[in-house]
Amino acid sequence: MDQGAGIRVTSGERTTYANGNVADVDDLIALAGRAARSVVDGSELHEAAEPEPDSVPGHSTVAIDPRSVAVERKLGLLRRANEVARGLDPRVQQVTASYGESVQEILIANSEGLLRTDTRVRLNLAVHVVAKQGDVLESGFEALRGTAGFEMLTDQAVDQAATDATRRAVLNVGAEPAPAGTYTVVLSSEAGGTLIHESVGHGLEADLNLKGLSVYSGRIGQKVASELITVIDDGTDPDKRGTSAMDDEGTPTNRTVLIEKGILRTYLSDRKHAEKLGIPRSGNGRRESFRYLPICRMTNTMIARGRSDPAEILRSVKDGVFVKKMGGGQVDVVSGNFAFEITECYRIRDGKLAEPLRGATLVGQGPKLMSEIDMVGTDLGYSTGTCGKDGQGAPVADAQPTIRIPSVVVGGKLK
Amino acid sequence: MSERLTNEATVDAALDALRSLGVTTGEVFLREAQSGSVEIKEGAIESVIARGERGVGMRVLDEQRLGFAYTSDLSADGIRTCADTARRMSGVTEPDPDLALAKKAIDDADLDIYQAGVVDRPLGERGAVALTVEEAARAVDPRIKQFRKTTYSDSESTTIIATTTGVRASYRESYCGVMTSAVATETTPSSPNGERQVGYHGEAARRFAELDPVRVGQRAAQRAVEKLGSRPLATQKLPVVLDPWMAMDLLRAIGPLFSADNVLKGRSLFAGKVGQRVANEKITIVDDARKARGLRSAPFDGEGVATTTRTLVDHGVLRGYLTSLKTASKLHIDPSGNARRGGYGSPARVGPSNLFVAAGSDDAEGIVRGLDRALAVTSLLNLHTIDPVSGEFSLGATGNYLERGGRIHPAQGITIAGNLTHLLSAVVGVGTDLVFGPGGLGSPTLVISELSIGGS
Repeated sequence: MDQGAGIRVTSGERTTYANGNVADVDDLIALAGRAARSVVDGSELHEAAEPEPDSVPGHSTVAIDPRSVAVERKLGLLRRANEVARGLDPRVQQVTASYGESVQEILIANSEGLLRTDTRVRLNLAVHVVAKQGDVLESGFEALRGTAGFEMLTDQAVDQAATDATRRAVLNVGAEPAPAGTYTVVLSSEAGGTLIHESVGHGLEADLNLKGLSVYSGRIGQKVASELITVIDDGTDPDKRGTSAMDDEGTPTNRTVLIEKGILRTYLSDRKHAEKLGIPRSGNGRRESFRYLPICRMTNTMIARGRSDPAEILRSVKDGVFVKKMGGGQVDVVSGNFAFEITECYRIRDGKLAEPLRGATLVGQGPKLMSEIDMVGTDLGYSTGTCGKDGQGAPVADAQPTIRIPSVVVGGKLK
Repeated sequence: MSERLTNEATVDAALDALRSLGVTTGEVFLREAQSGSVEIKEGAIESVIARGERGVGMRVLDEQRLGFAYTSDLSADGIRTCADTARRMSGVTEPDPDLALAKKAIDDADLDIYQAGVVDRPLGERGAVALTVEEAARAVDPRIKQFRKTTYSDSESTTIIATTTGVRASYRESYCGVMTSAVATETTPSSPNGERQVGYHGEAARRFAELDPVRVGQRAAQRAVEKLGSRPLATQKLPVVLDPWMAMDLLRAIGPLFSADNVLKGRSLFAGKVGQRVANEKITIVDDARKARGLRSAPFDGEGVATTTRTLVDHGVLRGYLTSLKTASKLHIDPSGNARRGGYGSPARVGPSNLFVAAGSDDAEGIVRGLDRALAVTSLLNLHTIDPVSGEFSLGATGNYLERGGRIHPAQGITIAGNLTHLLSAVVGVGTDLVFGPGGLGSPTLVISELSIGGS
């Protein structure tokens, strides 16, 4: 149990934020005193508006509160994952299954009279499998994560996660190291959305754009991607990991179209940066906890569905690489260069999946890559993660259809 | 607030709560911290954060089963509830005959890790550190025009550990650090909107006067400027030069291979390799939790075990692992005091303290001058995805392409790939320039015989 508060005072261009664990009103008043010390000139003081409580609609259903579920039931799911994984292949060496639940009770009040609350129930069941073949050790990972109730963790879903994690570990110990070079790449919808998160999403955060430091700065209304590409950030997507009723400044979450058929429409904003840039508040002022100031960041980010048959996309490639699952990624937002990890991939030969490859990475530059994508599928697949920015972690989901990139650098080894 | 107990009295109250529930083997870990940060923008302070935290974590060992709970609610009720949750959790976890809580007294060690008043310095003085960083960066090159972020931060904290069986110790520590991401901009006929490159650098110290903001600004600026005009490289194998900061980035990924927990679970490539060669004989790796003023130095670990100094790799040969009480018991060795705890809310995990590659005796520049071609890495992307289980890494990179030690052009949009164990074996040069970074890691310049470069 961690209980605390943060008090933000703005005075001119300066923000002061005092925060800490609080047990009672006295603690809270002491915090307010610390925050107020930064106000240099008393003439800026004004009376706070009377609080006007209201409510914002939620986007998650919690039929079963995880706190009401016996710990034995939770342990049972972990044992189940362990048994499923170990039963699939003798090369399985180690299985780590973990369960985490987080219930955040949030109250936001400000001097404009805003007073809103939100309760976020988030679950995370992860399976990590290590397989060994000869001297080669490889791991496979899968997680079930959402802003949802315990009902999302069905036996069937747990079995599937354990099976997927095991398949990746076992596949990779027997796979050839990915050959480094430039290839035509098909990213399956199953691969999840790390690509859009790293290559575009971070570059559209309003704080970076106010400083003029993003490759997307000053480009609203301009073409920044192929016309096949529409990018949406949707904090209202039901039960997803990045979903909430409001952001961490009390702004209701939104479905924000960031790029529409290749044209840049807006940025991801918090209150301060929406005002400074003259764009609508998008409800993307998020913080890890009361210990941090809100910053502009993604919720659930996706490339919208396109028109190509996913099977046709695969058939169209004579020689290339098929990415079935992406792992973590990182971007240098200033230059737009990004890298992300590939945890399951195959060589494509004559339009068909061939041998598996391990240890691959994909690197590129966001706007360049987005303008080169030449096929977008009708399907859509999600992945989940924890996004890191300025030392704060935020739960996010990403999604994309199957897409084709004609030419991109794949990192790997040379014989 | 009126009933606020001192830290020591809070620990006593928590021990009493455990005993009153009939717990015979229990542990209380308290952490109180005051920390702050100052961020600047366009020559003025933009934001100030003051953060306080105080809480306890409790562990209960009952019939060889371990329960853990934590709370920031330090009222009598809050402490009682936390103790009861820890006790109940010990009823549902798996038993393990090697689980134990600390029993040995902890020696007194003055590690010089605390300077009183670090967090109480006037705001102007703290902001000035960040402003000095930016001034120094701008002075390096007129193309340094902006900063993505420049932040000064500091903290002071108190840690107390106590068990129902009589172990009790505490320490205080202070920390201050400054980091910046400088942005270099250049307009050329090929990029009329300007090419922008970022350079990051950060340093930290236990004492305010030991921070060198000028050096931080200069290094970040050099990092940014040297990337301007980057071009891709062809896919090939090349010798690679890692300066101390880049080497530290990869050393961080090697840390988990030394964890006895990973070794016992078959998740480390170093399992079963003690006494065997795991690196080039030029490589010696030490974990020193007792380094004076070390950024991860502490007299005891998160389980109340006295910390140690260990040579993990001695001239290429693996000498041992990092252990907790449980993993040391399983390996029938003395615990090394490496059960690290991030805070009162997190259970202990086996990990390094100040982990470093010892200084070598090679003239790294001379070695590079002797190479026809090489890549000197200047930044790495996606380090967090290195899988310590397989040891495989495949990372985004920027670097300087060198011929006979001279820079030909900067490179970007490339990858470097290899295996961590291969990397250690392929070290052909270890410089004399050992440097410690903000995470307690340290390394001299390393020259690697060959890595795969992915590019055009």
